[in-house]
Amino acid sequence: MMASVVANGNQDGQSLVLNGVDPETCMIVFKNHWAQVVKILEKHDPLRSSSMHPTLSASAVQNYVEHMLFLLMEEESGQGGCMGPILEFVVMENVMERLFVWSLRREFTDEMKLEQLKMYEMLVGQARQPLLHHKPILRPLMMLLSSCSGTAAPAVEAELVLLLNQLCCILAKDPSILELFFHTSEDQGATNFLIFSLLIPYIHREGTVGQQARDALLLIMSLSAENERVARHVVENTYFCPVLATGLSGLYSSLPTKLEVPNEEWHCLHKVDWMRMPSLVQFLNSLEFCNAVIQVAHPSIKDQLVAYIYNGFLVPVLAPALHKLTLEEVMTTTAYLDLFLRSISETSLLQTFLSFILLHQHESVYILDTLVSRINTPFQLGTVSMALFRTLIGFYCEDVMLQLILRYLIPCNHMMLSQRRVVRERDFYSTSAAKMLALTPSCCSPDHSPPPLRQLDSILFSKGGADTPNSSNEQKSFSEEDDSSGNSCTIGSEIYLDVSYLHYLYDARLSISSCIRACQVWSALYDAEDPPPEKYQPGVLEEPKLEGRQTQTALKRVPKLLVSNARSGLPRGEPPSIHQLELEWDDSYDACPVQTTETPVEGKPAHLSPSEPPKHIQEMRRTAIMLVKGSYIEENEFQDDVMVYNLVAKKDSSEAEHAEETQSDPAHAPLRNGLTLPTSLVSDNDKNSLKAKAKGQTDCNGNLQNATPVESGEDFLAQYEELICILDSEGRGKRVKGDRELNKPVSPVEEEEEEEMDFMSFTAETPEPEKLQSPFGTVQRLRSGSSNRCYSVPFTGPFISVLFSRLENMLTNPLHVNLLLTGILAQLAAYPQPLLRSFLLNTNLVFQPTVRSLYQVLATVKSQIEELSASRLDFPERITAAQHWLLAREASFTATGDNNRLRVKLQCEIGFSDRIGKGWEPLP
Amino acid sequence: MFCPFYNRQPDEEQGGHADQKTSPARTSHKKHLPPIPKNAVPITKPASVGTPSHLANGTHASYGPFYLEYSLMAEFTLVIKQKLPGIYVQPSYKSALMWFGVIFIRHGLYQDGVFKFTVYIPDNYPDGECPKLVFDTPVFHPLVDPVSGELDVKRAFTKWRRNHNHIWQVLMYARTVFYKINTAEPLNPEAAVLYEKDGQLFKSKVVDGVKLCNSHLFDQPKVDDPFAISFSPWNPAVHDEAKERMFTFKRRPEEHHKGAQVSGLSWVKPGSTQPFSKVDSPQS
Repeated sequence: MMASVVANGNQDGQSLVLNGVDPETCMIVFKNHWAQVVKILEKHDPLRSSSMHPTLSASAVQNYVEHMLFLLMEEESGQGGCMGPILEFVVMENVMERLFVWSLRREFTDEMKLEQLKMYEMLVGQARQPLLHHKPILRPLMMLLSSCSGTAAPAVEAELVLLLNQLCCILAKDPSILELFFHTSEDQGATNFLIFSLLIPYIHREGTVGQQARDALLLIMSLSAENERVARHVVENTYFCPVLATGLSGLYSSLPTKLEVPNEEWHCLHKVDWMRMPSLVQFLNSLEFCNAVIQVAHPSIKDQLVAYIYNGFLVPVLAPALHKLTLEEVMTTTAYLDLFLRSISETSLLQTFLSFILLHQHESVYILDTLVSRINTPFQLGTVSMALFRTLIGFYCEDVMLQLILRYLIPCNHMMLSQRRVVRERDFYSTSAAKMLALTPSCCSPDHSPPPLRQLDSILFSKGGADTPNSSNEQKSFSEEDDSSGNSCTIGSEIYLDVSYLHYLYDARLSISSCIRACQVWSALYDAEDPPPEKYQPGVLEEPKLEGRQTQTALKRVPKLLVSNARSGLPRGEPPSIHQLELEWDDSYDACPVQTTETPVEGKPAHLSPSEPPKHIQEMRRTAIMLVKGSYIEENEFQDDVMVYNLVAKKDSSEAEHAEETQSDPAHAPLRNGLTLPTSLVSDNDKNSLKAKAKGQTDCNGNLQNATPVESGEDFLAQYEELICILDSEGRGKRVKGDRELNKPVSPVEEEEEEEMDFMSFTAETPEPEKLQSPFGTVQRLRSGSSNRCYSVPFTGPFISVLFSRLENMLTNPLHVNLLLTGILAQLAAYPQPLLRSFLLNTNLVFQPTVRSLYQVLATVKSQIEELSASRLDFPERITAAQHWLLAREASFTATGDNNRLRVKLQCEIGFSDRIGKGWEPLP
Repeated sequence: MFCPFYNRQPDEEQGGHADQKTSPARTSHKKHLPPIPKNAVPITKPASVGTPSHLANGTHASYGPFYLEYSLMAEFTLVIKQKLPGIYVQPSYKSALMWFGVIFIRHGLYQDGVFKFTVYIPDNYPDGECPKLVFDTPVFHPLVDPVSGELDVKRAFTKWRRNHNHIWQVLMYARTVFYKINTAEPLNPEAAVLYEKDGQLFKSKVVDGVKLCNSHLFDQPKVDDPFAISFSPWNPAVHDEAKERMFTFKRRPEEHHKGAQVSGLSWVKPGSTQPFSKVDSPQS
C-alpha cells in the first residue's frame, strides 16, 4: 500500500518536481514529517492502550513515511561522497529501525511485511547514494529479512526473493558491503550470511521466484570466487551444496519413470520432448544451476558440490534407477542420463558424471559395462543406449574412449606382432579406402545412381596443363583409366558420385579436423608405442586402482553433513577385490571352465567365485540363450561375448519373424540385467509388425506410383517414409535367411530346426534337453578347435563387439537404428589415434584370426545386400526410390535451419547444450 | 590441414606455403569455384612416357582421382613436415599434378641463387615414372638440361617405388645438386667439362647465371596460374604485416592450444591408462 503509492509517485511527475526543489527545503520537509511520525509513534505505541484508532495512526505514519522515503531516495550524496543531510539525519535518528520496531510491535501481518519489503526494495534499488554501508539502515533491513524467513505467503516470498536478488546485485557491484553483511547478521545472532541462507530454500523453486533466487545465489557464487570468506562460509556453515545436490535427487524422483515414447524411431530427448515435461524442465533448471555454480564459484564450493552430486544424486539415485526392473524404466533413465550429459557444459561437472559412468560399480558391475551390454537389447532400450554412446563418444574424452575401446587395443593383441609398426603407417595411396569402397554393393554403384536432387558440384582436377581449359570434355584426365562406362573416370561436372562424395569428404574433413583439435589435450598418442603395448598386457592393464582419483579425493572433502546419504555399505570407489577387477570384461573368463548351475535363471549363485565371470555377463549369457533359442544351453558352451551378442542380435530378427508365436510367451520374458519384459509390450510390437506387413502387401504398388516428385514438402516425405517402411518390412523376412546362413559358424541351431521350433515350450523354467542335440553340434566344433586357448585371447572389447554385431544386422535393423549405428561409426572413424584408426580403417593390418574387423563385418553386410538385390526384380527401382527419400529427408533437414547441414545435424543431436552457460551469465 | 587443390581463392595465397597452417576452411565457397583464369598459357608438358596407366587402387575407377588427390595431399604434407631448408613449393591452382617451387641456395658455388622451378607429377602417380623437375630458367649446371631446364632426377630415382619414394626426396635432391656437383653423364656437357677442367670459368658462368636468374626474379610467372609463385619488391605496406605475422607465429600454437581445450577432455595422467588418474584436473 504504502510502497505502491511511493512507487507510483516516483514514476509520475514527482521527481521532476523535486528536481527543482533545493536540498534545504527537502531537509526541512523531511524533519517535519519525522517529527510528526515520532509524535504518533510515541503517542500510539501499539502495546499501550491507544487513544487513536490503530489503523488511523498507521495510515498517518505511512503517509509521512512515503514522503520521507521519497526524499531520502532522491537525495544526492553529499560532497566528496559523504552522506547527504537527510541520510545523515536518518542514520543519526535511527529512523529506519524505529519504524521497523514500531511496525513489529503492531500486528506484523504478511501485508506489513510485504510493504516493508517493497519499501526497502525501492530504497535499495533507487537511492542515489549508497545506503547499505550504514548500520542504522542495514540492521533493520536484516531484522526484516530474518522476520520473513519462515514466511509462507507467496506474495511475501516473491517480494522477499526480489529484494534479496537486488541486495545480491548490489553486493556483486560493491563487495565492500560484504563485511557489513556478515557483521550485521552476527549482531542478530542469525546465521552469518543471512541473505544467502534465506535464498537457499528457493533454489529448486519453479517460476520467477526460483529463477531470481538462483540468479541471486549465482551472484554470490561468483563473489565467492574472489572472497575466501564467503566461500568458507558457504562450504562450512551452510547447507547450500547438500541442498543443491539432494534437490536434484528430489526433482529426479518426480520425473516420470516411464516416458511416453512418441514412436519407434524415438531414441533421445530433444528439446521439443523435454519442453513438454514441466518436471523435467525443472530438473534441468536445477542441473543448469549446479552447472553454473560450478562454473563461477570458488574451488572449494565447486569441489563440495561436485562431491555431493556424486554421492547424493548419482550414486544413490541414478545408479539404482539405471537398474530398475522394467525395460521402459531403464530406457527412460538412460534417456535422462543422455539428456543430462548433453546439458552439462562445465567440465568438472561433466567429469563427475563421466566418472560415475566409467568407474562406479553398481552391485560390482561397472555402469559402463551395463550400458554397453544394453546396446544390443531389442526394443528401444537398445537405440536409446546407442544414442547415449553417441553423446559419450562426442565428448572427445580420453577417459571415455580409453575405457570403451582403447584399453583393449593398447596391448596390440588384436594384431600380429609384426604389424605394430603398420599401425602408424600412413596409407599414402588410399589402398584401405579403395578396399572399403569396393564393398559398395553393386546396386549402389555410381552408375546406378539417380539423377541428383542437389545442385551439381564439380572439382577441378586436371593434368598439368595438358588440357585446354575451356572445352567441356577436356577434363578427362583419367580417360585412360576408364573401364567400361566411358566417362566414369571423368572429373567433371556431370558425375553424381563426385557431388555426393565431395559432400561426404567435406563432412568427414570437418569432423576429423575438429576431433584432431580436440584430442590435442589427450595424454597419449595411442599409436602402439605410447602407451607401450608391452606394459599393458592383459592382467597388467589394471594399474593399482584408484590412486589419486579426483572424485575420490573430492569425496574426502565432503563434510559429515550428508555422508549418511551416500548409499549404505561400501563407500563409492572402495577398491573392489582384485579378482573382480581383472575379470571385468577381461577375456580370461572365457577360457576358464565356468561352473554350471542347474537353475539357469532364478538360482543365482550367492557369491561369485573368482573364476567366474561377472554376474552381469553370466546373466547376459543366460538371458541371451533363453531369448534366442528359448532353450537351455549349457553356459560354458559359449565361446565369448561376441557370440552372445550375436545371438541376442539374432533374437531381434527371429522375433520379428516369429511374431505370432512369441505372443504366448510367459508373462515376463527375462532379459539381461534383470530386466523383465511385459507381455503387453511384446504383443504390441507384434501387432505393429503385422500391421506393417499387411500394409506393405496392399499398398506397395499404389504407393510407388503415387510417389511423384511433384508433390511437395511433407507429403512427399511421408510417402517415401511409407515406402521405406514397406521395403523394410518386406526385406526383413527375406534377409533373415541370408543372414543366418552367413553366420552359420556361430549359430548353434540349424535353420530348418529353428523354423519348426515351438516357442511356447521354451520358457526359462523348462529347458528342453532333447533340443540340445543340434546346438551342440556347431558349438562343440568351435570349442574343440580352440581348446588350448591361451590366457590372452585377443578381444577388442565389449563395445566394439556389440557395435559390430548390430552392424552385421544392418539389413534387419530399422533405418533409424542404422543411422545411429553408422553415425557412431563415423564418430569413431574420425578419431586420429593410430590404434583406433588402424583397427577400424586400415585394411592392410593383419589381425589375429579371432578378431573381427570392421571390414569383415561390412563385407558380410555387402554380401547380404547382394543376395537380396539378386532375389528381387524391382530392387533397382526400390533403391532409387530409397535414395530419393533419403535425399528428400536431408533436404527437409536443410530447409528447417540454415544451410549448414552439419549445424542442423548438430542442433538435432546436441540441441540443449548451448542453453547452459548463456542463460546463466550473472546479471550486471 | 591442407586442401588447396580446388577450392582456394586465388588471392589467398601469394607467398609460398608459409601460411599452410591457416589453410582456409572449405566453407562458403565450397560450391563455387573461382573461375578458371582465362588465357592460361599452355604448358609444354613432356609427353607422358610409358604404358597407359592402370588402376592400382581398386575397382571403382571413379574414385581414382580422389585417391590420387589424397596421395598428392599426403605428399605435400610430408614436404611440409620435412622443412627442407630453402625450398618452397605450392601446388598449382589448376592441377594437383603440377607444383610450383623456388629454391634458395645459401652457400657454395651457387650462393644467392634463387631458382624457380616446376614439378610435374605423372598422372599415374605413384605407379609411373618419377616426377620431373624443370627450372624456369635453365641453370648452368651439369645435371640441368641447358635448353629445357629439366633437372636429371631419374639418375637418383631410377625406378620410382611407391611407399618408398616421395616427392620431398626429389626436392631434397634438387637442393643437393647445387652443393655437391656431379658431372657423370651430364645433361649439360659443357658445364660438366668446365667444372672438371676450368673451375674458374665454371664459377663465373654460374655467377652470371645466378645474376641472370635474379634479374628476372620479379618477372611475371611464366604460367598463368593463381598459385604460381611470384616475387615482388619489398613493399612495407604489404609485407611488413606479413613479416610481423611470420615472426609472431611461434607464439600462436600455445594460445591455440588453450583455446582448443574447450572441445576435448582428458583426465588421464600421462603414462597411465587409468581414467581420471590425474589428481587435479587442469581444466577445471
